[in-house]
Amino acid sequence: MQDILKAKHWIIISLLPALLLYTFIVIVPIFWSSYYGFFKWSGMNEPSFIGWANYLEVVNDPIFWRALKNNMIIVVASVFGQVPIALLLALMLRQTTLFQRFVRSAVFLPTVISTVVVGLIWGYIYNPEFGIVNALLEMIGLESWTRAWLSDPDVNMYAVSIPIIWNYIGPYLIIFIAAIQNIPTEIEDAAKMDGANGFRKLFYITLPMMWTTIKVAVVLCISGSLKAFDQVFVMTGGGPAQSTELLATYMYNNTFMTYRYGYGSAVSTMIIIVSLILILISQILMKRKEEKGMGI
Amino acid sequence: MRKDVVYEANRSFNPVFRQKKSIFKVIKTVFLITFSFCMIYPLYWLFISAFKSTDEFFQFPYALPSEWTFDNFVRAWNLADLGGAMINSTVVTVVGTIFTVFLGALTAYVLSRFSFKWKGFIMLFFLLGMLIPIHSTLVPLFSIMNEIGMLNTYWALILPYTAFELPIAIFLITAYMSSIPKEMEEAAVIDGAGYWGIFFRIMLPMTVPAMATVAILAFLRYWNEYIFALVFINDASLKTLPLSLSIFSDGYSTDYSLTMAAMAIAVIPTVIMYVFFQEQIMKGMVAGSVKG
Repeated sequence: MQDILKAKHWIIISLLPALLLYTFIVIVPIFWSSYYGFFKWSGMNEPSFIGWANYLEVVNDPIFWRALKNNMIIVVASVFGQVPIALLLALMLRQTTLFQRFVRSAVFLPTVISTVVVGLIWGYIYNPEFGIVNALLEMIGLESWTRAWLSDPDVNMYAVSIPIIWNYIGPYLIIFIAAIQNIPTEIEDAAKMDGANGFRKLFYITLPMMWTTIKVAVVLCISGSLKAFDQVFVMTGGGPAQSTELLATYMYNNTFMTYRYGYGSAVSTMIIIVSLILILISQILMKRKEEKGMGI
Repeated sequence: MRKDVVYEANRSFNPVFRQKKSIFKVIKTVFLITFSFCMIYPLYWLFISAFKSTDEFFQFPYALPSEWTFDNFVRAWNLADLGGAMINSTVVTVVGTIFTVFLGALTAYVLSRFSFKWKGFIMLFFLLGMLIPIHSTLVPLFSIMNEIGMLNTYWALILPYTAFELPIAIFLITAYMSSIPKEMEEAAVIDGAGYWGIFFRIMLPMTVPAMATVAILAFLRYWNEYIFALVFINDASLKTLPLSLSIFSDGYSTDYSLTMAAMAIAVIPTVIMYVFFQEQIMKGMVAGSVKG
């Protein structure tokens, strides 16, 4: 009895620090922000209750919807950029020769670089005066294509997506290489014996065997790109004229630039709702595809 | 394996097949070299530009510097107070990493070795944190910290960094601890060791590999973190490296090679870490993200 009590005591004491820290910093703010979304509050004065006004303002603000659309562009660009590129590379990088290890390290390198540096350096790469993008286009005779990539509203969302894709191919590559290495060699050998080669082996053996991993990667990619902020904020700050506004930059610009904490809280709550809906949808879609895949 | 070799050998007798294969191999190698070049180029450009004068940078933006000078590095270091920023980043990163590893290991020990009523719920509760977009907690955290006077302190960064990294730390270390056999602890219990004794003298030393992975991941994340520092730190003397860089680049927006030098200084520690701990960083990031 004494021992059980002692153990109980110890469990509580040793779990408490992590639980408290985590609860107060990660969980409580969610409820806090959905509550303060109902208040008009500049940070200085006493918050005053204004009902659904902030939430209504958010959903009626066309910029919020543009930010959501831009966020979707980033999500789609990441899913259709990072995942296929990583997959293609993983299929090519199955050996452990020095050259292949070098390619792998090169692809992973941007992942460890500060996102602020990524934003700044890509800002320079797109620079109309000395950026290499325009210089390369001129070199191959496509002067007409040169432009101010980050300020032209027709293209700047696509331009800011590329550094984000570049930044995070590495983790997916490593996930896929691990998945390929996990495919039992017996299956590959059997397929070869049956005469399956090249593309047939790829589509009937390798990819189906990797399907679970690809699904995980897509879900990771969606939740990861919903968090995009740093690179875009450093490159454009959401501008010009809010053309590259993302949910996170919209929240930042509407809270800390204009001191509207009530409104910012409402936006934060909307961000959480949107993220959870998207993660849920992606899970459901992936599940359905799996059932279909099983049927084949 | 043997059959494989024979099979390949048979196929390579066929000259057409062999030729096709070698062309394919050349295309693949060229593609991989080009792709690696694109991945490295931005960083390469950053480093060569940092050694040029601004005039030279404008004249020949992509060429190697005609003479390699450290002027930009010295000037950037002094103008941007990068020394101060580096100290701040180091303090926040090191203390945050120690907190993360210690709390993660302690919690993991309880979750992997004791069974109690709320265990499943607590695991799920920590898992939930990985779904929450960090930036949606900025406004409430700012208000709370403002209320208790925590803004503009190291704690304003250390505590949120630790809290948001805890789920990954706990899951990585719990998974590792669960795979360690219990004999050692049982022997220690018979010898009369208490829970703290077992934790410090047996569990911690045996969990070093998992803790190292967690530490490396936490280190990189905290060193590079931007948005919390942007919102919670206003005091110039407390700015971390990413924050100083973003401000510096605004202030010296036309002195590109100077800004490049400042960026190079900030990037060097992570690149060095990457060179030494590459495998661990790759594996850790993947394990951490897949668990989420």
